[in-house]
Amino acid sequence: MQNFNRRRVYFTLLAALLLQLLPFSGIWLQIKPDFLLLALLFWLLRAPSICNIGIAWTAGVLMDLISGDLFGQNALAYSLTAFLAVMYQRRLILFTVLQQSVYVFLLLFVNQLILLLLKSFSGSEYFGWTYFVPSFTGIMFWYALLHSRLSVNIMARQQ
Amino acid sequence: MDQQQAPRFFKHGPSPFARVIVFSTLSLALMASDSKFNYLTPVREALMVGLQPFQAVANSPFVLYTSIANYFISKQHLRDELETLKKQSIFHSVQLQALQSLKDENDQLRTLMNASKITTQPARLAEIMYTGRDPFTHKVIVNIGAKNDVLAGQAVVDGAGVVGQVTRVFPYSSEVTLLTDKALSIPIQVERNALRAISFGHGRDNTITLPYLPANIDIQKGDKLVTSGIDGIYPAGLAVAKVESIKTNANSPFAQIVATPLAGIQNHRQVLILSSDTTDLVAKDIQQVLSEDAKNLSDKKDRSSRKNDAKL
Repeated sequence: MQNFNRRRVYFTLLAALLLQLLPFSGIWLQIKPDFLLLALLFWLLRAPSICNIGIAWTAGVLMDLISGDLFGQNALAYSLTAFLAVMYQRRLILFTVLQQSVYVFLLLFVNQLILLLLKSFSGSEYFGWTYFVPSFTGIMFWYALLHSRLSVNIMARQQ
Repeated sequence: MDQQQAPRFFKHGPSPFARVIVFSTLSLALMASDSKFNYLTPVREALMVGLQPFQAVANSPFVLYTSIANYFISKQHLRDELETLKKQSIFHSVQLQALQSLKDENDQLRTLMNASKITTQPARLAEIMYTGRDPFTHKVIVNIGAKNDVLAGQAVVDGAGVVGQVTRVFPYSSEVTLLTDKALSIPIQVERNALRAISFGHGRDNTITLPYLPANIDIQKGDKLVTSGIDGIYPAGLAVAKVESIKTNANSPFAQIVATPLAGIQNHRQVLILSSDTTDLVAKDIQQVLSEDAKNLSDKKDRSSRKNDAKL
């Protein structure tokens, strides 16, 4: 049972990583949600003993690698966001889909804010308001996923 | 659900707070060591090779799409393309003949003047695999790397002009920073009046800017900017950009000059990486300048000590 669970979590995370690796360009790159963070948050809220802050950190290092950023930027942002998710996890799991989505949106936003801070420290680059668009598309994706009960399918065989 | 299984409660491991402290410190240490020292470059290279199969899988739908699109391309379209290419080829070959004679003449003149001959730089064809993940930096990843003798710092061009520069090399791929990136600057020359300047990427729009030029500078809209070649990286005379607008502001002594790149940096699949064999030359220049500076400094010291002697 335990192994089966783990495999499912890791498989979802791997799929999210592949989505992240898709060769987007132009406008699509700007609105592309952070699939990996969404998958992480999904499992952080549902299976915190399998998908913990360590996994979030590892995912962050992989993101640093594929984005070509300074090592540790995404890792720090992901682990802090994961901590915020785990802190209120017991309460959040009782919320409705909409209430949960609001909190997840805040988490996505905070993640981008941390990244923005780190990036402006390491090399000042101008960011317009469009920088935060992935948070909005991300939460739409999240809401659609939870609402379409696709996630129930993912969860169903886990019980 | 997971956290409701009672026994799990007892084997929780370290608290989330302890974990986040550990991992945050770890990432801060990583950031510091990556930005200040170059310890992590081999690690990055090794991990990039490990990531290669995943990248291939992620790229496969797009590769499949283009190959299918290529398969269903019409005969008429191909014939038209062949026709234009043939015409272009004739046109170019005529130009090439003229170029050859000019080159010989130039070489002769240069030997007469005791100037060093301009060497042609061998080029290597690379294909763009994907654009960088960060929409706020202008970078692309191409499919050849250290195994194909690509070096960081080499110039990247296409048929129309300069595309950018190789900034990071992995074993089987390399990262090219486009000339519109804020971090890239290119020494240029205005073709019309041979005025030298340095162009910087704008960062946001697909344009480049020429800052630090006085408001009364002789640059007009439509001027073609070419590489000046004084850096030893970009060969002289490659097209870079065309001046789009010049604005002067009464409050600022500098003109705001915006130019658009001539190379199709957004829409090409293939680029050329020029191997620069003049890097030694640049290094030699720098060494010479440094030694001259040191000499000047010691001269000054000598003079000041002599002055002191005179005072005494």
